[in-house]
Amino acid sequence: MHIVFADNVGTDLLNGIISLQFLQFVIAALSFIGFVMTSAALLVYVERKIIAFMQDRFGPLHTGPGGSLQSVADVLKLLLKEDIHASGADKSVFLLAPSVFLAPIIAAFAVLPFSPYVGLPGTALATGLVYYIAMSSIDVVGVVMAGWGSNSKYALIGGLRSAAQMISYELPLVLALVSIIMFTSILAGGNAGIGTISIRDIMNFQNIWPKGGVGIPVLDFIFQGFTPIAWFFLFQPLMMAIYYICGLAETNRAPFDLPEAESELVAGYLTEYSGIRWAMFFLGEYGNMTIVSAITTFLFLGGWSGPGVSYLVAQQGFGWQLLGNLLAVGYFVFKVYGLCFVFIWIRATLPRLRSDQLMQFAWLILIPVTLANIIITAALYLIISAIGLGGSTNLVFMIVVGIINWIMLFGFIRIVQRATSATTRRARAPVLRAQQRSKALPLPEPAASSSGQ
Amino acid sequence: MTINQNTTAANLSHMTGAEGFTTQEMLLNLGPQHPSTHGVLRLVLRLEGETVVECTPVIGYLHRGIEKILENRPVMGGIRYMDNADYLSPQLNEIAYATAVEQLMGIEPPRRAQYMRLLVGEMQRIASHLVWVGTYLLDLGATTPVLWCFRDREGILSLFEALGGSRFNVNYIRVGGVLHDFPKGWLAECAAFLDQLDKNMRELEILITGNEIFEARTQGVGYIDPQQAIAYGLTGPMLRGSGVNWDLRVNHPYGAYHEVPVNVQISQEGDCYARYKVRIGEIHESIRLCRVAIDKLPGGPIGTRTPIALRPQRGETYSAIESSKGELGIYFISDGGEYPWRAKIRGPSFVNLQILPEIMRGHKMSDVIAIMGSFDLVLGEVDR
Repeated sequence: MHIVFADNVGTDLLNGIISLQFLQFVIAALSFIGFVMTSAALLVYVERKIIAFMQDRFGPLHTGPGGSLQSVADVLKLLLKEDIHASGADKSVFLLAPSVFLAPIIAAFAVLPFSPYVGLPGTALATGLVYYIAMSSIDVVGVVMAGWGSNSKYALIGGLRSAAQMISYELPLVLALVSIIMFTSILAGGNAGIGTISIRDIMNFQNIWPKGGVGIPVLDFIFQGFTPIAWFFLFQPLMMAIYYICGLAETNRAPFDLPEAESELVAGYLTEYSGIRWAMFFLGEYGNMTIVSAITTFLFLGGWSGPGVSYLVAQQGFGWQLLGNLLAVGYFVFKVYGLCFVFIWIRATLPRLRSDQLMQFAWLILIPVTLANIIITAALYLIISAIGLGGSTNLVFMIVVGIINWIMLFGFIRIVQRATSATTRRARAPVLRAQQRSKALPLPEPAASSSGQ
Repeated sequence: MTINQNTTAANLSHMTGAEGFTTQEMLLNLGPQHPSTHGVLRLVLRLEGETVVECTPVIGYLHRGIEKILENRPVMGGIRYMDNADYLSPQLNEIAYATAVEQLMGIEPPRRAQYMRLLVGEMQRIASHLVWVGTYLLDLGATTPVLWCFRDREGILSLFEALGGSRFNVNYIRVGGVLHDFPKGWLAECAAFLDQLDKNMRELEILITGNEIFEARTQGVGYIDPQQAIAYGLTGPMLRGSGVNWDLRVNHPYGAYHEVPVNVQISQEGDCYARYKVRIGEIHESIRLCRVAIDKLPGGPIGTRTPIALRPQRGETYSAIESSKGELGIYFISDGGEYPWRAKIRGPSFVNLQILPEIMRGHKMSDVIAIMGSFDLVLGEVDR
């Protein structure tokens, strides 16, 4: 059997590998992996400092100025630690689990553009959003592998619980993003509106400054590409909140950090890991945190847009374009780290949810709310377009959807408050019934003389 | 590290349920070393799936023979050993012991000493409850309240250090009164600290009390029936959280409580949240009582002159005070010599612990920590 490839496959391949573009790609890929790891390590330090300040203490102080080298010290320590293998069960599963957990997280960065020109080739992917969701789903496999490979029934229970939590919260996560995708198809125009799931394009929909600018340089500088009034968080705040909450659950952060809890009974899936393998899980968690913040930024907060970016990038001259790109990266990182700060803030504030309350919250509250939101958005568009306002249909639709969504946001907060009190009322039913039964309580001894006389 | 992996002695009993399902009961050991048992309490749980079928507390890991030591120390030397019983509220233990000896000998401390004891006792109660709030929230997963509570407790401990030289085991109470008078400026600092504590308590309550997650984990969990509570001899916030109006400072007043009225904090629901509310209420009430004591502090001597080698006459007596955990009683038997014949400590945590297996039955595994935390157990008092 003679298999025929294209002609000159060998020389083409060789020419391709030893070429400038490939070198560019390799540098870009390595620097992205470097960014992810450094960002995760930096986030560890930042989290410790921020939580410390919220708790009226200092955090790391002595390693380096203000404790900034603490992460370096931690990584060094973990690298030098003995790699303890749990004896028994599947060795290959046990050893592979951290990599299976970490690799999709790094891979998900391929579709995140940091600025108009800074980004891996994957940012041109037309199905960027679906790629990201797929990558975040592979994490579950890593967790189950970790639980199984630890050869301990408690670790297995913990791993399965964590996997159940991650799977349950993926559904509302995706459903929350569906409404954004509906926006893109509406805003793409007219009856042939086909939306987009490419992250770059979704970001571009949040920019309503006229192309080519309005002619006034100052306004053009500030607002070209940067129109906060069109950012999707104004129109779908509830979906941003729900996506963010599901992101909390996906990354096993408080208040959903049952798998990592030390004071609970069941040991989590992490128990048997030491040294750099444990570090991979933790870096994966912080990387996941960064990705969730990044996707929130792109879909709801306009991505890397900021004053001056698009204006500078559109200029002639390499210097201006470079400045524009650097500004874009700066704005992007600022927004992402701002959202990470909210992650950290929530961790410092809230206690832990019980596992059954966690599941109830996902299935009984989040999924109905997100489904209802999709239906409401679609129904509103159909109604408004049927009214026949012509050109301003989109504008009216967006405003109406925004108002409805803000009302739904406050309604959601009320639902959560009432839901917790309802479940507790149900749980307290035996209490109340017992109180009805025992109305007259004989005191052990009548209070002979009340104090104070 | 969180559970004792030594389940070789696991006792699996096979049970056949309806429809031919076989279920196994699992024995889970919440070992003496555990971040949430608040000391070295060991709980042996029998679980069926997620539900607790039986819970057996095993105690004694902190037994230090305090009562035996007390028999071999003169009374004044023995007061210091009472600090180790409930190590989170040492001054209240000292007050209990001194009150028992005074009751036997018929000594009445002067009014100023009684008000000073009330002041340090209530401050000690605040400190103990602050530790409880912080560690309870830490068990439930919130890492911030414990640090805020300990920061507030630092104020109290610094005041005690200024008073008696040591932060925890101050050894300030003596039979017949207290050790020495307040240092200059101590009362002003105490008042300033109480004002700051008021503000900090408001901050703490904003963080915790309305929190839906906290409510969802503590409401309806660990219900104690008032009849059951009285039958088991519970005292303190455990009893008052079930709606029973019983506080020794009101029902059997001692010391300055004859003159200073106490508003007893009661909550009707009987669950963990009710006990939390009672203890938070008690912190506020203790702040108010401290302010009253500072205002109405009478002049006069700070102690009745008693010989250092105190020889109580033959006899026995029981006297109890309202400690932060409940009724802390000392049954003191003296044979006329320098050393007590017997000093039995009725530790409230020991008695409160007895209801734990009853309450735990039927709850899910995740509630075990919440329930156990709400008991405010101090193993020093349980094991002595």
